[in-house]
Amino acid sequence: MNSIFNLKFEKYKLDNGLEVILYPSKNLPVTAVNLWYKVGSANESEGKTGFAHLFEHMMFQGSENVPKEKHFRYIQEAGGSLNGSTSNDRTNYFETVPSNYLEMALWLESDRMGFLLPALNQDKLDNQKDVVMNERRQRYENQPYGLAWEKLFCSLYPKGHPYHWPTIGWMEDIEKFELNDVRKFFSTYYAPNNACMVIGGDFDSLEAKRLVKLYFDPIPGNIKIPKIKCETPSLTNSKVITVPDNIQLPRIYLAWHSDFVFGKDDAALDVLSEILSSSKNSRLYKLMVFDKQIAQDVTSFQFSAKLGGSFIIVSTAKPGIGIDILKENILNSLNTIIKEGITEEELQRAKNSIKSTFIYSLQNLDKLVNQINYYNSYMQDPNYFAKDLKRYEDITCEDIKHTAAKYLNDKFVQLNYIPK
Amino acid sequence: MLDRSKTPEPNGKISFQLPAIKKFYLSNKLSVSFIQKNNLPIVQIGIIISAGSKYDFNGKKGTANLTAMLIDEGAGELNALQIDKEFEMLGTVFSIAADHDSVIMSMLCLKENLVRSLEILSKILISPGFEEDNFLREQRKCISKIIQMKDDPSYIASTVFDNLISKNTPYAYPTFGYEQSVTSITNEDVKDFYNSYYTVDNSHVVVAGNISLLEIKDLLETHFSGWRKYSQSSYGVLPARNDRNRFYFVHKEQAQQSEIRIGHISKGRNASDYFDTMIMNTILGGQFTSRINLNLREKHGFTYGAGSSFNYNKEYGYFEVDTAVHSQNTAEAITEILKELDGIREYVKEEEFNFAKSYLIKRYPSMFETYSQLTKNMALLYMHNLPDDYFDMYLSIIESVSLADVKNAAINNILTDQLTVLIVGDKNIILPQLNAITDEPMQELDISGNVVV
Repeated sequence: MNSIFNLKFEKYKLDNGLEVILYPSKNLPVTAVNLWYKVGSANESEGKTGFAHLFEHMMFQGSENVPKEKHFRYIQEAGGSLNGSTSNDRTNYFETVPSNYLEMALWLESDRMGFLLPALNQDKLDNQKDVVMNERRQRYENQPYGLAWEKLFCSLYPKGHPYHWPTIGWMEDIEKFELNDVRKFFSTYYAPNNACMVIGGDFDSLEAKRLVKLYFDPIPGNIKIPKIKCETPSLTNSKVITVPDNIQLPRIYLAWHSDFVFGKDDAALDVLSEILSSSKNSRLYKLMVFDKQIAQDVTSFQFSAKLGGSFIIVSTAKPGIGIDILKENILNSLNTIIKEGITEEELQRAKNSIKSTFIYSLQNLDKLVNQINYYNSYMQDPNYFAKDLKRYEDITCEDIKHTAAKYLNDKFVQLNYIPK
Repeated sequence: MLDRSKTPEPNGKISFQLPAIKKFYLSNKLSVSFIQKNNLPIVQIGIIISAGSKYDFNGKKGTANLTAMLIDEGAGELNALQIDKEFEMLGTVFSIAADHDSVIMSMLCLKENLVRSLEILSKILISPGFEEDNFLREQRKCISKIIQMKDDPSYIASTVFDNLISKNTPYAYPTFGYEQSVTSITNEDVKDFYNSYYTVDNSHVVVAGNISLLEIKDLLETHFSGWRKYSQSSYGVLPARNDRNRFYFVHKEQAQQSEIRIGHISKGRNASDYFDTMIMNTILGGQFTSRINLNLREKHGFTYGAGSSFNYNKEYGYFEVDTAVHSQNTAEAITEILKELDGIREYVKEEEFNFAKSYLIKRYPSMFETYSQLTKNMALLYMHNLPDDYFDMYLSIIESVSLADVKNAAINNILTDQLTVLIVGDKNIILPQLNAITDEPMQELDISGNVVV
């Protein structure tokens, strides 16, 4: 079974520093191109937040040889699909095209990597500022509980820490984006030596190498990419924040600092979240949603990134139930795990479910090449699937008990959303 | 020397082998569609049952949904927790969803755990427990969910819009039902609903998996041929057009954005100009570089995204433009949308037509990538009674559509004199804007679609 996780790939670097990973696979006559630029919202600073995400928009506005809107149109006319996304640590851009269009995809990606600035102007920036402000309204400000995440992270990470602000940026920062800053941000971070490109699917490796060299080799690297400096975050006191909102049911968010991505306890925290809330039999769900019926829902997860990790539990109250009751039940359940641990059966169920999720995730080429980029970025090893799975398979009941005690006994941020 | 100003040409042609769909019946007449797919050790199964909310009993809107929520809460000798525990131990992912027409059960499992997973699935379908305590829990969960949705602007817009355009049909009501109607449902209603609609002749099984035809036939026969409940439900409704108001709004205090829905009832999925209409809508609002999105987002910056779609239920279809715009641009955005709807009736450029055809034809292979895409494709054929060779003919039908066909599709299917416009937003901000662009009355509705007087 584990052989399906052992991918055949080739990794190399161009002289300008661009990392390239080729993963041939012939299931469908399509090819996916996936770029990670090692720049995310963590590379921004107070007062100038939202730049990394803005680029996720500007990179689709055309470049020197690609008129505005044509980037989308070329790929779609070829029958391809495309998008981008931004996180704290990185921004990714990806397209999947019928395999005979690989060269066009590389042409488009290289043109915006090397030649975006000549085509950047105030009109495009003003337009995308409006679009991003509307994105912020649609996804966060006009949604019930919509601003909860940024309020939570803003409290969990102190002022000055690069995870203190939301990925999309603060509204007042978006409003005052300036063209010069935008240019500078691009010149600093969008260099080949700050990126990794994975090509996966149905292609000829020799031909792909030739095309990559042809299109990307002439783009110069930037030797002066600033490193992020920050301290490991911690809370001096537990905090309680209460937000009245246009909602019907109260919701509680609890957040602890936990381990970094691929840290020693990262996988154990994932397993712990499975045991707490992934199924009807999980600790919190069974207690609060199934048996006592005090909660409408409960979820938990380990959210881990390069400069910090957090363990988060969220639960929505049933009508007539207060937040304190939810909190008491959650903390009691955590204490039980910290004192008594978990059963072998719970652990096995969580592991089986994680393992099958791994296998199911291999169905989709887009997701697969993105996962290769993820492993390469954090572990410098594109072929980390089997090793990643082993992190979970090696976990013991004792590990879960220790991990819960180590992180969840500590100070935390409590965010209460209550009806206005 | 590389000339970057030249767009690279495609390198030859690709070849794609359409996966073959095999159809068969079990001895109890349960119908099955199957595709063998061997690249991973997994099996995806769907069971489509014509037991959606259009069959809800009178005054008990939400019965179909509640039945679907309850059906896996205990079956055969297994209680709700045991079912869930076994699925988790097997690494099997199981879910149920209800819409107006159907209930769909979906199961994804590892090949090595298929036998036990199928056995549990058959218990859920054939011998659900419907215990009273489970009923009460799921009913409460459903009511809380409905209460929670009261603040979701996009849910309000979509359900009130359904209510407006599908008036006097069962498609006018949300599948979840309403707080009061769900409160009035009893466990007996759920059992009655199950007994009436969960039958062999109302159901179809779709399978895509790493398994041979013989093997899957044999397994399904073992676990599902004992199901012997028959009675075929049918329904035939067409919403009647009546002369109504054109503009409606739902007030949402301090809304940052206005959710906008504009559209009308349209022809069904089996209409002879379905593909002509699909190409037309690709140009109008069906993808990122469509006229509507480029206008509202890329030209004006009113929105994060805007689009249009033709949606098809089993009985008929409806056309809908869908967006959320900054409150202060509400009237301007509506004006631009209406302009685009007039515009597509006036002209379609050759270049747009070629783009849309190319987009639809060349993306074809990527419609068959994942196991769940395959089962969804087979479910689509069943749902709309499409011909067995639908996917074989798909490309040649699109190829055969002419520019004149697409122009006609616009004139015949974008009915600008029949539009309903719904806005969910802050009336203090939007009404002055709207009154400046039209003299037509603005009818206020509550979040369930009732007229506010």
